[in-house]
Amino acid sequence: MSANKKVTISGRNTGSRIVSVGTSNPPRKYTQKEVVELYGETNPKIVQFFMNGYNISRCLYLPEPVNGKMPEESNQDLINKHLGGALEIGPLAIEDCLKPIGLSSYDIDFFCVTSSTGFLCPGLSAHLAKKMGFRENVYRADLLGMGCSAGLNGLRNVAALACSNTGKLGLLLCVEICSAAYVYNDKISTAVVNSLFGDGAAAALITQSDTNILKQGPVITDFESHTIPESIDAMKFELEDSKLSFYLDRDIPYVIGANVEKPVKRLLGRHSLKYRNIDHWIVHSGGKKVIDAIEYNIGLTDHDLRHTLSVLRDYGNLSSASFLFSCKELMRENIVKEGDIGVVITMGPGTTIETALLVW
Amino acid sequence: MNSYKTLKVQKKGGVVTARLNRPDVRNAINMQMVDDLTHLMDAVEDAQDVAVIVLRGSADVFCSGIDFRDFKLDREPDIYGLQKWEKMCRRLEILNKFTVAAVQGDCIGGGFQLLLVCDSVIAEKKSVFCFNEVKLGFLPGMSTFRLAKYIGLGRAKNLILTARRLKAMEALNWGLIDQVCETVEFEETLSKTIENLLPFHPTALEMARRLLNECYDTSYENFIGHFLAAQHRAITSETFKILIKKSASRMPCL
Repeated sequence: MSANKKVTISGRNTGSRIVSVGTSNPPRKYTQKEVVELYGETNPKIVQFFMNGYNISRCLYLPEPVNGKMPEESNQDLINKHLGGALEIGPLAIEDCLKPIGLSSYDIDFFCVTSSTGFLCPGLSAHLAKKMGFRENVYRADLLGMGCSAGLNGLRNVAALACSNTGKLGLLLCVEICSAAYVYNDKISTAVVNSLFGDGAAAALITQSDTNILKQGPVITDFESHTIPESIDAMKFELEDSKLSFYLDRDIPYVIGANVEKPVKRLLGRHSLKYRNIDHWIVHSGGKKVIDAIEYNIGLTDHDLRHTLSVLRDYGNLSSASFLFSCKELMRENIVKEGDIGVVITMGPGTTIETALLVW
Repeated sequence: MNSYKTLKVQKKGGVVTARLNRPDVRNAINMQMVDDLTHLMDAVEDAQDVAVIVLRGSADVFCSGIDFRDFKLDREPDIYGLQKWEKMCRRLEILNKFTVAAVQGDCIGGGFQLLLVCDSVIAEKKSVFCFNEVKLGFLPGMSTFRLAKYIGLGRAKNLILTARRLKAMEALNWGLIDQVCETVEFEETLSKTIENLLPFHPTALEMARRLLNECYDTSYENFIGHFLAAQHRAITSETFKILIKKSASRMPCL
């Protein structure tokens, strides 16, 4: 055995691939300072949450100030904002994903949408089918209420469909209008989430095909899940002034830190891989503390998680869409070589840690 | 442990001793040695029953620097071999075991670079340390990044730019090495050094060392987050659980 031997995984050329990733955000970008000023926030503790965080700017759907003050958004306003926002940036992300390979929504055979920032019936996939001209026989699935980890749950579903339907085209759309779950009420618990989450959409084309143009991107090789039932209350929706508001427990970084090794070790173990064999880490931009916890428990550096950190810095926590933003940054960097191995980690309510193994 | 072309490796209990072993060239570092050391890092990292790795040379020389015969006259030199060396040094710097360098005789160039990534360094009194790279026309690797953190910028410039030959006692006073002894006491001093590092708590070692290595280039705000994540990992480790159990069964100290 030579020290420089590249580790190989059996069956790496079979399986569905992430062929292309597209992203989109609302047109308006706000710095943390701008948000604080717009809302006229003066409580120093709350201001500190905005200014002390690691994220610097976010794209958001915020209302226009009326007479210099931010208007109160009713429940109906927020529901409208979720649907309207999703129907604006969702299609843009899908186009960004499909256009470079000469495809359109009409070509898609199955389609999964994840969103946890608003509840709709019919779901977003139906609204998008109407707006974007999907075929009438497109198979749709909406994944709701799974929060930040949902991107990988969706990927697993679409990848499974792609594997059992060779040549067919699958699409995953993660679209989160987190500003539709903002409640401004001068509480620390709402300030925590209002200062962290941003709006964004990311789409991925997933297929197992022999066509040359579709034979690019990493093969989705394996998944491993981990649920921590005793921490079911760590992340959840709560009603604030009869509006849905996300609640984050202060223990989350430590719960994730103490558990993250478990699924990752199981995932790597069954392919006889060690941490040192992993070339790329694609991790959900949950927040600075969660990222610290993952770095220190798996032995990763800021360089390993550079895209996770830059996505957090530039866009905030985009919930289920975050990891695809990091994935796109990695692809854009153009450093990935054939045979490289990547691990994806997302975490969310449940408490859940989802992981995936990618091979280029 | 495997056998290597350029290393003599021995395992005794939880201690692996690797001797740089190219006596004909005073243990100069060539590509083969970098590959051997990298492979050894893999093996030691994976070995569940190893707590300490000791790097040493021969009785008369630790290492004489780079073996320039690896660079060929008929080919433009490239950076990738040196990059491999840096990768190996980094592996040693963050290895999940205690790392000790035990120096006898001259410790030049790449040998000196190795000391800066070890947890503990001992040397015999007559050993001499020197970065001769700049004098020869190249660079002493990432010691340009590490050395000043140990001894301050002024002294680091002096050592690296003048290739000054530093005596063991002076290196000790500057905090570059931890222990200096007479040649006859060398083995005993080495055993004591290893004893002082034990017991081996892998989580506490990795966390403490990583924080210390980061302390000069991280802001307080970032560092406190790193520290809390690391401390949480330490207090949820098996070692700490056993400590709590033991403490609970004891009478309170008043």
